[in-house]
Amino acid sequence: MNMKYMYRYKDYFMRDFKWKLAPVLLALLLVQSFCSFAQTTNTISGRVTSAADNIGLPGVSIGVRGTTTGAITDAEGNFTLQAAADAVLVVSYIGFKSQEVPVNGQSQISISLATDEKQLEEVVVTGYGELRRNDLTGAQTTISSEAINKTVNTTIEQAIQGRAAGVYVTQNTGAPGGGISVNIRGVNSINGSNEPLYVIDGVQIQGSTSSSGSNPLSTLNPSDIESMEVLQGPSATAVYGSRATNGVVLITTKRGKAGETRINYSYLYSLQTPPNELEVMNLRQYAQMDNEYKGIAGGTVREDFLDPSLLGDGTDWQKELFKSAPMNKHQLSVSGGGEKTTYYLSAEYLNQEGIAIGSGFDRYSVRLNLDSKAKEWLTINGNFNFAQTDEQLSTTQSNIISRSIQLPPHIPVRNLNGSYGGGTVTSTNTAEQFTPPNPIGLANLTTNDLTRRQFLGGLTLGFHIIEGLDFSTSVNGNVNFSNSTYFLPTYQFGYQRNEVATLNNTNGLNTYWNWNQMLQYQKQFGKHSLNIMATHESQESTWKNLYGERRGFQTNDILDLNAGDVLTSVANGGQGDWGMESYLGRINYNFGDRYIIQAAFRADGSVNFGPENRWGYFPSLSAAWRVSEEDFFNVGFVSDLRLRYEIGLTGNQGQGGAIYGTLAPGPTPWGTGFIPNTYPNPEFQWEETKTNNFGINLGLFDNRVQVEADYYIKNTDNLILRSSLPWYMGTNGQGAISPPLVNVGSLQNKGWSFTLNTINIDNGGFRWESNFNISHFKTELTSLTSESSILNRTTREWREWTQRSIVGQAPWLFYGYVEEGLFQSVEELESSALPADNNGVEYPIAENSIWVGDVKYKDINGDGIINGDDQTFIGNPWPKYYAGFTNTFSYKGFDLSVLITSTLGNDIYNYLRSENTNPNNINLGRNLFVDAFNYANVAYNDDDPDHLRPYLTNPGTNVARMSGGNKNNNFERHTDKFVEDGSFVRLKNVTLNYNLPTSLLQKLRYIKGARVGVSAQNVATITGYTGYDPEVGSHVGGLENPNSAAIGVDYGRYPLTSVYSVNIGIDF
Amino acid sequence: MVLSVFTGCEKEFLERPPLDTLVDANFFKSDDQVLAASAPLYSVVWKDYADQAYFQLGDLRAGTLFRAYNDRDNTLFNTSDVSASNNSAYRAFYIVVGQANTLIQNVNTYAGPEVSVAIKNHAIAEARFMRATAYTFLVMNYGAVPLIENNIALLNDKDLTRNTVESVWEFITRDYLFAAANLPENPVQPGRITKWSAEGMLARTYLNRAGVGSSGGTKNQEYLDKAKDYAQRVITMSGAALLPDYADLFRYPYDNNVESLFELQWVFTTNYGYANTMVSQITYSNDIANGDGWGGDLGGSYWMMSLYDGLIEDGFTNDDRLKATFMLPGFHYPEITQTVRDNEGNESEQELIFPAPATTADNSFVNVKKYVVGKAVDVGGQASAQRYPNDTYMLRLAEMYLIYAEAEIGNNESTSDAKALEYFNTVHTRAGLPPIEGSLRMDRVYNPDPTKYRDDIFEERAKEFAVEGLAWYDLVRLHYYNPQKAYDIINNQDRGLFVVHPNRMPSPTSWEFIKTEDFTERTANANSGNFELPIPAAEASQAPNLRNEPVPYDFGE
Repeated sequence: MNMKYMYRYKDYFMRDFKWKLAPVLLALLLVQSFCSFAQTTNTISGRVTSAADNIGLPGVSIGVRGTTTGAITDAEGNFTLQAAADAVLVVSYIGFKSQEVPVNGQSQISISLATDEKQLEEVVVTGYGELRRNDLTGAQTTISSEAINKTVNTTIEQAIQGRAAGVYVTQNTGAPGGGISVNIRGVNSINGSNEPLYVIDGVQIQGSTSSSGSNPLSTLNPSDIESMEVLQGPSATAVYGSRATNGVVLITTKRGKAGETRINYSYLYSLQTPPNELEVMNLRQYAQMDNEYKGIAGGTVREDFLDPSLLGDGTDWQKELFKSAPMNKHQLSVSGGGEKTTYYLSAEYLNQEGIAIGSGFDRYSVRLNLDSKAKEWLTINGNFNFAQTDEQLSTTQSNIISRSIQLPPHIPVRNLNGSYGGGTVTSTNTAEQFTPPNPIGLANLTTNDLTRRQFLGGLTLGFHIIEGLDFSTSVNGNVNFSNSTYFLPTYQFGYQRNEVATLNNTNGLNTYWNWNQMLQYQKQFGKHSLNIMATHESQESTWKNLYGERRGFQTNDILDLNAGDVLTSVANGGQGDWGMESYLGRINYNFGDRYIIQAAFRADGSVNFGPENRWGYFPSLSAAWRVSEEDFFNVGFVSDLRLRYEIGLTGNQGQGGAIYGTLAPGPTPWGTGFIPNTYPNPEFQWEETKTNNFGINLGLFDNRVQVEADYYIKNTDNLILRSSLPWYMGTNGQGAISPPLVNVGSLQNKGWSFTLNTINIDNGGFRWESNFNISHFKTELTSLTSESSILNRTTREWREWTQRSIVGQAPWLFYGYVEEGLFQSVEELESSALPADNNGVEYPIAENSIWVGDVKYKDINGDGIINGDDQTFIGNPWPKYYAGFTNTFSYKGFDLSVLITSTLGNDIYNYLRSENTNPNNINLGRNLFVDAFNYANVAYNDDDPDHLRPYLTNPGTNVARMSGGNKNNNFERHTDKFVEDGSFVRLKNVTLNYNLPTSLLQKLRYIKGARVGVSAQNVATITGYTGYDPEVGSHVGGLENPNSAAIGVDYGRYPLTSVYSVNIGIDF
Repeated sequence: MVLSVFTGCEKEFLERPPLDTLVDANFFKSDDQVLAASAPLYSVVWKDYADQAYFQLGDLRAGTLFRAYNDRDNTLFNTSDVSASNNSAYRAFYIVVGQANTLIQNVNTYAGPEVSVAIKNHAIAEARFMRATAYTFLVMNYGAVPLIENNIALLNDKDLTRNTVESVWEFITRDYLFAAANLPENPVQPGRITKWSAEGMLARTYLNRAGVGSSGGTKNQEYLDKAKDYAQRVITMSGAALLPDYADLFRYPYDNNVESLFELQWVFTTNYGYANTMVSQITYSNDIANGDGWGGDLGGSYWMMSLYDGLIEDGFTNDDRLKATFMLPGFHYPEITQTVRDNEGNESEQELIFPAPATTADNSFVNVKKYVVGKAVDVGGQASAQRYPNDTYMLRLAEMYLIYAEAEIGNNESTSDAKALEYFNTVHTRAGLPPIEGSLRMDRVYNPDPTKYRDDIFEERAKEFAVEGLAWYDLVRLHYYNPQKAYDIINNQDRGLFVVHPNRMPSPTSWEFIKTEDFTERTANANSGNFELPIPAAEASQAPNLRNEPVPYDFGE
């Protein structure tokens, strides 16, 4: 966070707030406007360097006093200009003290600029403006382009991970371009979306998780980002009012700097490696298992499995699915401009193949940012971004990964004749009718492409009215066009076949615009500094989809609806809109750089609510005391001490349409029928979060050690949730009326974050810096409208897998039974609680009922029988701590950066393991994890012909016995056995860059700078989790509404794997 | 100035009803709209029941169907509070209740003056009919359940408790009586329910109700008389008639034929909720389907086979219903196309001839024929995977004849009433069987020895309605007044694996049924503790009040 913000000032040169920059600007204007008479001039050349390290300073303005003549230094700090022999050069540069240098007849002048401690203070972007970092009263975290560039990021949110305290980032899918969950300061809202609001150069985009696994922000090129500001505290977020409860991420893109044109080209090549395979049975084991199953459950042993020892390993489906995959990225940027107009132009091409067949991501993007000081009183800023992404999504959407774990090893990927292999069904072997279709065949044959084109941009006009008073107006927009093609061809993989090819095409168009008018006034009198801002903003978005489908294609080659059977045509539409109008006022008062107070008030009117609840009001107040600036404060080694407090209200407006009772169409023999699909809630209102935040900033030893710590308590009321009703309300299933969106209760979220930045060594060119951040949050549901209420989030397709929220607990805990091992003896059975019938009578202890080798469930409520009441909370998907640790070492041209990320204390429900260790599933023609082989083996002694004294030959196992109709539901109940600790420490990234020395480059005429680098990402992970990858976010795959997607459950999630990269960068 | 631009039109800017969907308050404005709002009550709301629970509960639990590898819980009468069929059935019935209630509310709230009183009442009658039907399934599967008339009023209420079985039956009866009084004699559109659908349901309801709460096994004679009365009214007055050929009941297209009184109205559509998907579940193989066909291990049970006169003992039966319900090796169905392969694996298509197991095989399946309609080409192109157009019977005229006979027997063990015999034989002889002479028997005490025990009605119903999801409810009706007999029937059924060998292929004339030796799980264990379904665990844990003692329903009188 101690990045060099001084270079950034021109980026915001003409943006909304410029209280700190205005004097510099005015000085320049004055210099220019006092034109002088003509004189004889000489050519003067020279170099401007920094007094601290003698390095040339680029982009320094050099004016000749009393003339309009001037120059800007080049990348090396050199300049040339015309000036009279007695002229005086005025040299100014942000962050340095201005100097006046008399020419005194010299033709060569060296100028050494001393740093200006006052000006060096960072300027940071905040909501609707920017501030000196020292004026910040609220909690916010900055991520600079330098940090972003150190990791391999295909999408922007990836760059946040591990770099900002308070921000918990999990990747929902490792698929290229895949969706990510960004959670700022814990769980703020109980409905699925805890994603922050993103503001990209003024365009507000509500973060969302997408059920398809594709990422709404993946059209943005991370290389274009100058900085990201993560607004966390209420005073910063409350200015975004009703959309800010989950925090706000402000993204600012790069802008041009006056001076010589800079051209930069960089190329990145990455190789992504396959994951470590999960241990599934090989062919010998599978055959053995199949034979054993038939020995127990009945059935004919397959002829080809008669002697398993003769068999080979069979097909390794994971090896067939995963491969090493390359990624290429070309990035070209050109920036520069004159004093009046600057520009930044960049273009990118990214091509990423997925490590799993059927996945991939391409992006093409162009950005142009323009800034112009058109008149003394007028500034114009424009930014325009066009991007296209092409995604292949077959892997994510067709359960390819879980299927490749489940396909039995005796099935070949391809048969001898080249066709894809599949299950075979005979009259004695019917199991393979349930075998999943060949995932390799499916991934190769299926087309599931998503193309998106996005135009994002805006124009801002700034008017300087009188000194201190400015008006600006901006129009920002975002237009997204998407086109998806999903073609399921005819195929035959043995028994599994699809006889009718289907093609779906979806076109979507969504638009967003935002018009903002802002008036601001700033005044400095004596030690008082005042800044007042008032804003009005209206925004609107619309979306419209068009869906077409046909079936019955004669070939699998022509992917166009026209080639399908016209009689099967389906056309669907869909559209919606949203609008909001807002008023915002803010006052910032600073006394002597010691006391800073900020108050803001925002009013939002949203279409999501009925007339009575339409307007929401969001006040905030914050104060900071810079103790270290006080006269009485005299502690030498403390260079900065600042105490902060803030309080504010933020909101969440949920989804639109909640106030309307909508009807869904459906085909009936009598024409289209209409049926209610959602209960309306006319009383629907804002969810509001009140936050108290206490913060401290401490700088020691000339800020070589910087500490930033925050503690917060957030109380959210009127929690928005899709009501969770008992099934008797008929709100669950096909043809059901969805429950209404309601305001159900309150939750409290307490947490802290701590950041430590240090310069450990700065000695003779060797520099070692560290950033360590760690965060903690604890969320508790504090009330629900009905005290006895229980909120369940159930995934029907996964045997009613349930996450539950109740008062007094964190939201969405895993819910299920507790296992206490397996029954070892009849005596143990007799003395234990067992499942019972409707009369409460335990089921008989017998081989075909409940028997040795069955799971012993814990009798939680102690009533002596096992039933649904014995379920309890068995896992918590939220982490206790998450942390990032960056170390940067630089020496001469070398720069080494090491990032470690860690999450501690969260649980994962390993659903894949629960499915694939069920030995009975061998009878569904599926392969299993090797663990299933160790199912409880029930045996009897020879002197026990009546089978009265069963025992286990493998008493230590925790996999229940195989049995057909089991009354104990050994494998149907969700138990703590599949809850695993998801904690991990990951060596996220190691990057080594080398800047080629200038001396070497001087021989190359056009090249001003060059870098080469190598990096490795996701290098090593320490975790106890047994799945592919412990970074499990929200579930993707289209099972459920993305806003209530299951959290922390792993069912064949696309894993993150190691990535090795080389990159080169050249400056011209 | 600029700031005022939007404030002037704020109301318009911030008032945005959905653009792509109708809103309840703007609908129900004409007769056509009201009918369009009741149409989905015939299909999508029943979806989660009709897809699988229909036969899983109605036939697998009853022992008429057998399944070897899936649905073992239902096959062995072990349906639990976590069984998928239990979950989906329970949910589906309450979806029907919720949609019916909401339709009544919406019609009462939003129907404008342009809607005729007759159509308003028609829609409410349809809703109450559907609600009553759902509650019939609920009360018969679960016993006491909560009664709900207005879902919207209960959206914030989690304290609802169960109502007594008697209350539920009273509620059902009132709904059907309202429907009978307000539905027309002729359907407003083909397939819509009529007065006769409701009276047919009343016949069924009174027959069921007659045993409810009966002490000492004595059924309520008043209700028995009503059952008879309604059955006879429907038989004589509705204009419905039995199809001459039983097999035609299930040969596509059969929808809304003259024998039908109420059926679920599916259409061939890409909209999953509105198409028949049960066909995919019960069809034995993709060879006769459209990329689906997952019922390979599903078929008639050994016990079911033993009900067909002569089949096990003599190797063949004259009961036409066997071939129309189940497939024996060698059975030929010209209406269904079958993909077959030669030794090289080359495929060709032929008229379906159900294949025989290998001569060495010790297990095979008597797969389901009923409702199976074959490939797209067999139904005029109107089929693809999980998308079938054929309807699901919920009430057929044939049941009226058997209800009459059962109600006539009433509290006795037999009858020789001429009308009862005539009605019974109308159904019996249509199946190609000789009429039963003398008397109809329903012995009170079960005996596994067929020379000592007969239950003509129960077994006739099993054969007539196998795979139509009814047999289980016949057992529930029996259980109301004679639980021991219900347990005895179930516990003496053979629910195990067996193999069927034809005497020759093609064109066999007899079949041998051999039980699979190493298959041990052949019998179920029914008793008072597992007879009713438990409320699903997920439901019981989110609505703990359901564990409270049921209370009588307050009918507001």
